[in-house]
Parts: sequence; structure tokens; C-alpha cells
Amino acid sequence: MLTRRNPLIVLMAIELMWNAANLAMLAFARAWLNNAGHVFAFLVITVAAAEAAIGLAIVLATFRRARNVDVDEVASMRG
Amino acid sequence: MIAFWLLSIGLVVTSVLTVTARRPVHSVVYLIANFVMLAMLYVTLSAEFLAVIQVIVYASAILMLFVFVMALLSTSTGPFSVGPDRLPRFAVPSVALVVVVLGLIVYGVSRTPAAIVPKAGVASGPAGTANVFGSAADFGAALMTTYLLPFEVTAVVLMVAVIGVVMLAGDAAPSATLGHHARRRRGPRVREPIAKARRPVEKGSAR
Amino acid sequence: MMLAVIWLLPLAGAVLLWALGPQLRERSGIFGTAVVLASFVLTLTLWNAASEPGGVHVPLFSWIPGFTLGLWLDPLSLLWTLIITGVGGLIHFYSIGYMAGDRAVARFFAYMNFFVFAMLTLVLSDNFLGLLVGWGLVGLASYFLIGFWFDRPSAVAAARKAFVINVVGDVGLMFAIFVLFANTGSLAYADVFAKAAELAPGIVLVACVAIFIGCAAKSAQVPLHTWLPDAMEGPTPVSALIHAATMVTAGVYLIARCAPLWDNSAPARELVGVIGGVTALAGAILGLAQWDIKRVLAYSTMSQIGYMIMGVGVGAYEAGVLHFFTHAFFKAQLFLAAGLVIHALHDEQDIRKMGGLRTRMPFAFVAMLLGTLSICGVPLFAGFYSKDAVIYGELLDGHPWLYGIGVLTAGITAYYMFRMLFVAFFGGDRSEPAHGAGEGGEHGAPAWIMRAPVAVLMIGTVAAGYLDIGGDNSIWSRFLAPDFVGANLLRGGGPRVSDLVSSAIVLVAVLIGFAIAYVRYGSKAALADAPARLARESSTVPPVLVRGFFVDDLIGALIVRPAQALGTAFGRFVDPLVIDGAVRDTALLAGVLGLFTRALQTGLVRGYAIVIVVGVACALAYYAFAGVVR
Repeated sequence: MLTRRNPLIVLMAIELMWNAANLAMLAFARAWLNNAGHVFAFLVITVAAAEAAIGLAIVLATFRRARNVDVDEVASMRG
Repeated sequence: MIAFWLLSIGLVVTSVLTVTARRPVHSVVYLIANFVMLAMLYVTLSAEFLAVIQVIVYASAILMLFVFVMALLSTSTGPFSVGPDRLPRFAVPSVALVVVVLGLIVYGVSRTPAAIVPKAGVASGPAGTANVFGSAADFGAALMTTYLLPFEVTAVVLMVAVIGVVMLAGDAAPSATLGHHARRRRGPRVREPIAKARRPVEKGSAR
Repeated sequence: MMLAVIWLLPLAGAVLLWALGPQLRERSGIFGTAVVLASFVLTLTLWNAASEPGGVHVPLFSWIPGFTLGLWLDPLSLLWTLIITGVGGLIHFYSIGYMAGDRAVARFFAYMNFFVFAMLTLVLSDNFLGLLVGWGLVGLASYFLIGFWFDRPSAVAAARKAFVINVVGDVGLMFAIFVLFANTGSLAYADVFAKAAELAPGIVLVACVAIFIGCAAKSAQVPLHTWLPDAMEGPTPVSALIHAATMVTAGVYLIARCAPLWDNSAPARELVGVIGGVTALAGAILGLAQWDIKRVLAYSTMSQIGYMIMGVGVGAYEAGVLHFFTHAFFKAQLFLAAGLVIHALHDEQDIRKMGGLRTRMPFAFVAMLLGTLSICGVPLFAGFYSKDAVIYGELLDGHPWLYGIGVLTAGITAYYMFRMLFVAFFGGDRSEPAHGAGEGGEHGAPAWIMRAPVAVLMIGTVAAGYLDIGGDNSIWSRFLAPDFVGANLLRGGGPRVSDLVSSAIVLVAVLIGFAIAYVRYGSKAALADAPARLARESSTVPPVLVRGFFVDDLIGALIVRPAQALGTAFGRFVDPLVIDGAVRDTALLAGVLGLFTRALQTGLVRGYAIVIVVGVACALAYYAFAGVVR
């Protein structure tokens, strides 16, 4: 996530991270036979979906403005 | 066991490929593969319900979004122009950082006291039956009783997300969509490039 | 309770006059005078009670539990109160005439009433704190009254000078109070004096010296005397009341009041006696070079107070206080008579421009003559008794040098007083105002208003001294006995000379002084030649006398100029660099910090992401190592 300039790739990397957390949670839920892990993973999926949607919307909006979605070029909030 | 190892390797490989693929569409494909393998792994973890959810929500809906956005971005102007990746330069420090974080996680986890006693009445059994750990029934029961509040909050979160997305990305719609607030031209708008001092945003005036 | 009324009445008068001044205008004089005379009458009613052992004690309030402030009327303070309200009342009455027509009459009487209140605070207080308060307020009142005509720069400068020098005295007094409180645990006179005999000699000496610094400032003793001649810028009634009869005697009061302390410290007494003597002599010497009638009287005041200080300093308390008593009468009379002359001559104060007033203003002449005779210590007049008592006291208490100074000063006093008298009142008139002087009413006020108080004072000028006839058994001594129990033990140590012989010696000195003055100024030949002689003398006066022994210049060089330089240096350097600099630098600091933190706001998403990751890593590290995993 830190290395690519394309925001879409960045978002995909973020999704990967969500999933990794999910995996960990489910694994431990299985190990400890606790339902909480499942529930939380479910919630994580929900939130991740929402976040992905919003992130994409932001990308679209930025692109409309700047004609450019390069993460490094869109630094108008500098300073 | 074999399943675990196969899936794990596959997961790792596809993850790396996602991040390093040259073309975004390839990244999406790798990501789909990743999610599917993840779902399979969930099944081995007795989390059948979640595996299904994973495929339905993640693998299809979200990735579909990605594909569509890429499509939109590609057609507006010329080809996607992003600068050269900084991948080579940042690879080493990033990997170092990641290893550190991972190490910390592992260490922290290893120090936590051992597990909670498994709930009574949970047994293994064929998926689909009630009271089996990881089954839909069990999960549903937990969701609706112990974790009811987070469930409701999640609903709110989703609502907020929907509204946000509409506001952020829905401006190209004709003025009929937004009612009498809108004062915009039809069609794709021609905008000036970003300048430091700008006139107030039209988006803001729509509120 | 009555005592509190006496004390507060002038304050009420001052406040009312200040508030209703514009309405009262010309009537304010009557009101102010009535207030003071009412206090006087009320004080008379307390006479008997005050003479009893213990006097009249009125506790007022407890400032801190354990500290009770109050009023105390005993023979000493009764005496001062009577003079303040009595002579003060007469001077108020006189001022109705003198200040008539002045555009700020109400303010004048308000200030005068305020002064009376402040002085009463000083003398009626039963503790050091009230004394200090009164001390400061009196200095303030003096400042107001000297600078009453504040559109005169010389008056304003004189007022400021007086106040600043008084502040030096205030500091000394405060220090003494600190020392006494630290060593006795109380501020009340009764407590401190009860323990006076037990204090270590060093402590008593320090306290006495510090007290004396205050007295020197307030009573114009060398070297803190320079404000008194300049204080003559104020209106003549002010000079009469404050700078002759009462305020400047506050130092004498204080020393007399603290007699138990002084009884226990011989070195302190030496110091006070010496300074008193030096002042008496210096004042007299400077007096003989003055041409302004009020300045002559100012220096004579300084000299006479030197006598008083000499007296109470060596332990001859009754003599010193007696001199205060008689001096109040004849000095006030001299000043008021001088005021008559000044008024009649339309504010001319230079005696070289006077002359021949003996025939034109007979009443003023008689008043001046009586006052002069008294101040010189001519027998049958009040001054004779008191002055001789002081001088003789020096001898009795074992200070032959001071005795000599006292005699010498008496002679010089005679000389310069008669010089003033001859030059101003005898011979032909030397200027237009003198020629036109008359004793009709001036400025619309009838003449009797100004003459009546003077007439009353004349009685005192002549008779006041008779109270001391009979040595230690006189009415005076018995009146003051309760206050000065320990003083009699100090007698002895000097040659056994009877008081008649001593008085004869003084009289000889006085006659010599008179004779010299007569030859130079009063004889027929001198009078005929007056204008030329005076002109010649004016130009040949040695500068050391004119400049007051250069004390003013000395103080200016040693103290005033360095202080001013320090102030300028602070203003030029410390203020802009340090103080303003601190403010500026704080702003600069904020700016610099801002510059640094600005670097973090790159606008790059990637940068922010890195920050987030690092933060997460830190949190994880915390959990990993310090871990709370619930």
C-alpha cells in the first residue's frame, strides 16, 4: 500500500489487510471456540465494504477535479 | 492439512501479485483469486457462514465496484496516467516495517493468556445444524442477542456510507436528481486544473 | 468614643468639602474652621480623663486577632492634639481671609482638614501601625498643600521633593517597626515599651537609629532638610500650620513617645543630640543669608526643631516638648504676620523690597516683634523658658559641646531675626508695594479675620512658657510626668551650674547677636544708607551659604542623578530588549514551531499512510511489551 501510486491499487491493498485481520480473528475464534471472532469478522466485512465504496467515490471525485489520480500528484492539501 | 498449506501459499502469492502487478486489471484478478482462496480457508476453520458471506460480498460486489471504477476512469480522458511506481526504492524499507509490525503482533499474541473455555453445547457437526460452532444458526443467534448493538450500529454505518458515496460521486447526474439546489451544466464538465487559490467548489454550493 | 469622634471629624470635614466644594465655595472656609475648632473643644473636655494614669484608651478594631488598633490619649498626645486642633483652628480661621478670592478655596480647606485628620492619626494612635499610617498620610497632605498652586512649576517641584525625602524617612520608620515587632511580637506601644528594657542593646540601637531616620526626614534635620525651604512655595497658612507648628514636629513627638527606647540606648541619644545640634546651627547660619521673608522663617524653623530634637535626644524630654509648645505659638504667629505683610504687599516676599512697614502696618509689626523676642529667648517671653530649658538640659545631661552649640545658635538666631525685622520694617520704603501697603482689607475680606488669630496667638507667644516655672515641680513637669518616668534618671554627669547662670550666658549671646544686627541694619546710619548696603550685601554673600552648604547639590549628584541614569538605562535597554523581547520571542517561537510542524503536512496520502502505520506499530509495541490484554 505504501509503494504504489495508483489509488485503486492502494484500495485493493487495504482490502487485503482487512481480510488478513479477518483470517486471524476466525482462526483464533476456532482455537478458542468463541463466537465473538465470527461476529467481529462479519462486522469487519461490512465496514470494509463501506470503506471501499467511499474510497472509490473519493477517487472518482478527485479524478473529476484533477484529471489525475496519481497519489503523489494530488497533494493540494500540502502545508 | 494439505488444504491449509496449499491455500496458504496461494494466498500469499496472490497477495504479492496484487500489489505488484503492472496493470490494475491484473491486480483485480489476483484479488479475486485471493478472496476465493480465503473463503476456502474459512471453511477449514469451521466458519462456513462467513465463507459464504465472504464470497458474496467481497469477492463479487466489492471487486465489481473496483472494475467499474477502473472502467469509468479509463474512459473519461486518456489512458490512466500514473507516474512510475516507487516500488524499487521503497521495497526494502516497507518490508522491514512490515516485518517489524508482524513481529510485534506475533509477540503480543504469544504473551496473551490462554483461551477462554469453549461454550457449552457447542459441538462439531455437519454444517447447517443449529448449535454447531460456526454454523449459520449459531452465528445468527449470537448476532441477534449478545452483539445486537454493534449490529445496529453497523446498519447506521452502511447508511452513512451510502449517503456519502452518493454525495461524493453522484454529481454528474442531471439537475433533476438534486432538485432545485443544483446549478450545474449537463454532461462532463470542463474544469480548470487545480490551482492553489480557487474559487469555492460547486460541489459545496449544492448543499 | 469621644476620642474617635475627635479623630474622625476632620476627615468627615475633608470628605464633605471635597465633595461639595463647588457648591460651598466661599463658605467652605467657615465650615472647615468649624470642624477643626469643634475637635479642639471636644478635646478640652477630655483633659481630665487624659491626665489620669493610663489616659483614655479607645480600642478600635482587631485587624488580625491579637492585633488591636486603637486610639490613646495621654498627656503627650493630649498636648499635641490641643496644638493641632487649637493652633490649627486659628490658622483655618486666618485662611478664610488669606485665601479669599482664590479660585480653589474649597479644595484648600479640604486638604487642610485632611491634614488635621492625618496628624491626629499620627499622634492619637496607640500602636506603631497607626503611627505609620498617619506618618504617610501627613506626608501626602503636605504634598497636596505645598503644590496647592499646581500651575507653578516651582511649587510642583518642591512638593515632589518634599514627598520623596519623606519617603526615605518612611522606609526608616518601617524598618524600625519591623525590628521592634520581630523582637517584641507586638505593634502596640504598651507592649513594646514594657519590653524595652529587656531588648539587647544592639537591637534598641538599630531601632532607634531607624526611627530617627524617619524623624530626620519629617522634621527636616540634616541631611534630610533640603525640602523645608522649598516648601515655602505653598500658601503662607500652610507654612504656618504644617511646616512650623505641627507636621515637622512629628519627629519630636515620636522620639518623646518612644522615650522608653531611648532611655535604654546611650549611643542613639548621642546621635540624635548631635544631629539636632548640627541642624540648629546650620539652620541659623543659613538663615542669615536669606532675603525671602518666608525662607528666613523656614530656616529658623529648621533651627528651632534642631533645638527640640537636641532636647528630647539627650533625655530632656520635658524641655524639648516645652519648646515645641512655645514654638508652635510664636512660629505660627511669625508666619501669619508675615502673611499679613505679603498680602498687603501683593505677594512680595523679598525683604529688600520692603521697608518702613513699622509705621504703615503697626499691627503686623507688633506681632512680628513679639514673635522675634520670643524666638530669641528674651526673658519674660515664652521662648525664653523653653529655649533655656533645652540648653540647660544639655548641660545637665552631660553634653557640654551641645551646650556650646545651643548658646552659639541662640546668638545667631537673634542676629538673623532682628536683621529681618530691621530690614523689613524700619527705614524708608524701598519699593512701590511697600509704599502703598496699608492694613485695610485686601481681596474683599475684612482685616479682622486675619488679625484675630494672630492676636490670640500673641497671648501664647508671651505666656506659654510660664507653665514651666518651678523646675521639676512646675505645672508642666507634673503634667507630663506620667510619660517620662525614666528620664529623670539620666540627669547628672555635667558641671554643677545653676540654671540662672546658664540663662545669663544665653542672654549675653542673644544681646551680642542683637547688637551686631542693630549696627548693621538698625542704626540710623545703616537705615539711611539701606538700599546701597543691601545691594552690596546681596552681591557679596558667599555662595556656600546661598547654596545651602551644597547639600542639595550633593544629594543631586550622589542620589538623584544615578537614579535617573538607572531609569533611563532601563527604559532604553531593559524594557525593549528583555520585556518586549520576551513577548516578541514568544511569538517567534510559535512561528518557528509552526514551520516545523508544517513539514508534516505534505498533502501526500502516502505520507499520511506511513504515519498511520508507524503509529500502529507503536501501539502494538506497547501492547506487546507492556501489554494489557484483557
